[in-house]
Amino acid sequence: MESVEAQLAAFRPRTGTMEAWNAAYVRTEDYLRAHRIHNRLHQSRLIQTVLERAALRHTENPALDPTTLAAEETEHLMDGWFAAVLDAKDLSHDRIAIEGRVAMLLCDGPQKWPYAFLDNRTIPEDFATAMRASSIEAGPDMAVSSMVPRDIDLGPITEAAGDTLERIEKWPLLRMVLLWALFLGALLGIFFATR
Amino acid sequence: MKPSQTKLHEFILPRRLRRRRAVFYTTVLLLTSLATWFMADILWRSDSGINGLEWVLLILFVVLIAQVAVGFVTAMLGFYVINRGGDRQRITRTVDWDSGDVSLASTAIVMPVFNEDVSRVFEGLRVIYRSMEATKKIEHFDFFILSDSNKPNQWIQEEIAWVELCKQVNGLGRIFYRKRRHQINKKAGNVADFLRRWGKRYRYMVVLDADSIMSGEAIVKLVAMMEKNPQAGLIQTAPRLVYGESLYARMQQFANRLYSPIFLAGLNYWQQQDGNYWGHNAIIRVQPFMEHCALPDLPGSEPFGGRILSHDFVEAALMRKAGWHVWLAHDIEGTYEEGPPTLIDSAKRDRRWCQGNMQHAWLVTARGFRPANRFHLLMGVMAYASCPLWLLFMVLSTIHVFNQVLSPAVSSFGFENYTYVFGYFVRVPEALSLFLFTMLMIFMPKIISLITVLQRSEDAARFGGRGPVTLSAVLEIVFSSLLAPIHMMFNSKFVLFSLLGQGVSWVTQRRGAEDGTDWREAIITHGGQTLFGLVWGVSAFILLPSFFWWLSPVLAGLVLAIPVSIILSKGSLGTQARRIGLFLTPEEVQPPHELARLTQNLAECYKNMRPIEALRNDYGLLQAVLDPYINGIHVAMLRQRRPSEESRDWFSLLRHRLLSEGPSQLTQKETLALLLDAESMIWLHEELWKQPGSALAEWWRLAMRQYNVLTATPVTALYR
Repeated sequence: MESVEAQLAAFRPRTGTMEAWNAAYVRTEDYLRAHRIHNRLHQSRLIQTVLERAALRHTENPALDPTTLAAEETEHLMDGWFAAVLDAKDLSHDRIAIEGRVAMLLCDGPQKWPYAFLDNRTIPEDFATAMRASSIEAGPDMAVSSMVPRDIDLGPITEAAGDTLERIEKWPLLRMVLLWALFLGALLGIFFATR
Repeated sequence: MKPSQTKLHEFILPRRLRRRRAVFYTTVLLLTSLATWFMADILWRSDSGINGLEWVLLILFVVLIAQVAVGFVTAMLGFYVINRGGDRQRITRTVDWDSGDVSLASTAIVMPVFNEDVSRVFEGLRVIYRSMEATKKIEHFDFFILSDSNKPNQWIQEEIAWVELCKQVNGLGRIFYRKRRHQINKKAGNVADFLRRWGKRYRYMVVLDADSIMSGEAIVKLVAMMEKNPQAGLIQTAPRLVYGESLYARMQQFANRLYSPIFLAGLNYWQQQDGNYWGHNAIIRVQPFMEHCALPDLPGSEPFGGRILSHDFVEAALMRKAGWHVWLAHDIEGTYEEGPPTLIDSAKRDRRWCQGNMQHAWLVTARGFRPANRFHLLMGVMAYASCPLWLLFMVLSTIHVFNQVLSPAVSSFGFENYTYVFGYFVRVPEALSLFLFTMLMIFMPKIISLITVLQRSEDAARFGGRGPVTLSAVLEIVFSSLLAPIHMMFNSKFVLFSLLGQGVSWVTQRRGAEDGTDWREAIITHGGQTLFGLVWGVSAFILLPSFFWWLSPVLAGLVLAIPVSIILSKGSLGTQARRIGLFLTPEEVQPPHELARLTQNLAECYKNMRPIEALRNDYGLLQAVLDPYINGIHVAMLRQRRPSEESRDWFSLLRHRLLSEGPSQLTQKETLALLLDAESMIWLHEELWKQPGSALAEWWRLAMRQYNVLTATPVTALYR
């Protein structure tokens, strides 16, 4: 009984409203679920870790929103963990976040190792190996070459027709007159054909 | 090198090929001359001479009947070839398939896509990949999805499907995805872009359409044929139409399957290495293609000039001009594509093709092109130009009759001959011989194809049996006769609008896959044709009832355009027809493994729950911003850029608007701009999860509540 009380007393946000911390809890839970962390036990442990850290920062600066703090703490937790698993400590936050998530997805981490995500104590060796081997390759190495259009010799008549067309295109009025002439010519043709 | 690799296959001797072509062209000329003789005779007899109008009619007739004769002679030559056990001069005969001594080389299988059904594209690719794996030769092949999709949802779904597919088939490093930022020069530009980046890595590329399916065996055979024939630059297969569900699509695929063998065999008989390229389901030798087939613009601007829209015929002509052989492997199995589901969809496709084919008029006289390629280009032009010419011919014929009726010198029209049948004297219209001759040329290939299939019970069984195939062919002939004048009207309009540089507007479709064309769409699309047919028919009847009956087959198609279009578009009728054994094809009776597998996978895909209505329109953006993995994949595939100060401000503004106002407040262009900017996508993901609910648009709050609620993993376009 004592240990339960001790555990309950171990973490209670000292600042902020209950609504704000509930919102932070839901947001963290949603985010972990978006990472396919469907293992409830593991999920709840992670949420507690994140909220503890967030609560600590909130006491230092109560003006900050607990949801924002929780999201930042999750981010920090993930960055550190990805860097450790991928053995890539020098990468910027943006890169480690992207590479870590891509590696997780490609090796099916959340499904195959449901307790491993963000757990610094025990990273299964096969999981770490699979993470390091997972990288995305949208295309093979490029072998750039040129493909330059060559003019097609259309023949003298067609070339002349092309030149004429290009000339007519420069004179929209002439083009319109020609079209009307064609139309009137057709009308005349029909008129005489039916006489 | 092995002997089989060094020994080149000896193709037909030039003398023999010339003889084949002489037979083809001479027969076309003879038949055209004979029909023209009949026609001139009729025109001459009507008023003892030929006047100006009649000369015009005669010239139009020659142009039109020559085209009919080309089809007829091609089919007859094909019939001759098939009847004597097939042509020995086929590209497929150059490899000894039984020896197992088949050499292959690095080959890219490229599939350009543009806003297609993502499930269909990637499940199709899965089937091809698996089939290729089964050949145990997959190490020679890489697969490329070349996307020009410009709808955010399509794009993101493609990325997700690609990653999932790669994971599922263990295809990372073998299946690649490339999305162009700018869709320059459409499909030809997309393929050229691929070639510029990776072309040097591959000796061949197999070009597929988004709806193409090819078996691994068919692809391996194509590569082996290219390896065996170093002078071959391109080998085109003859894809079978499959997966038709509506009555229209099923009729088209039945016709394609039943009639095409004799046409294809005939085509190969006279064209040989001067074949054509149809744009997909073909293999191309990369290096000469890159060297000779980059297309320049035509003189002037669109619609006459500018960018070459229908690139395939021109590319074949350029390959031939450079001395490379272009073959039609018409007898290769395991190559499929889909056709349009409805008449209106078919017309929309024709609208696109029409302008491209009309442009080929520039190239018919181009220097250095082979006569056979000029002929292909000309036939492409005539496929559309013949429609307004046919319409003109019919209208002038009506005017001619009008003149005849008004002329006091002519007491009767068209009935001058008598014949003796079963003890009775029967009045025979003088045009009957010409009519019968023309009908013979139009329908004889179909009848012969049917007889060829009926000869062997196994062949007939592949179409559902002798009875069903005969009934299906009769119905197909009836419906295709009704459809011909509708196509004539559509294509006449397309040609006219292309010449005037105008676009054609279409009614927005309001249908699911099974419902087909609705009445509103049909009335608006075909109303003009029906009205034209009614006015024409009534005028003809008032003018001369006997002339009306001559016109009736054409008039029937026009007047019945609306119900015909609706009936043929019905998926339920297509299913019903299939149930009773009508319009069955060998691919339906005994589906090849690849097609059966694809059907099964797609059925699973379409069972997937769709996102809720409120989120559906921007679901791609939702996933790319909200889902940590999809965001990661998306950003990983974007090229990092250093934006200018102005664009940074603009992006910043857009990002804030997206989160605070929701995606509906952004235009598609703005959404695409954000999706293309890696920095924005990283920022959006982080900020979305950081900001308190009150700072976010209601749409995002809903998205976060809903995402992953119903399914353990996000829904993808794939079947598992």
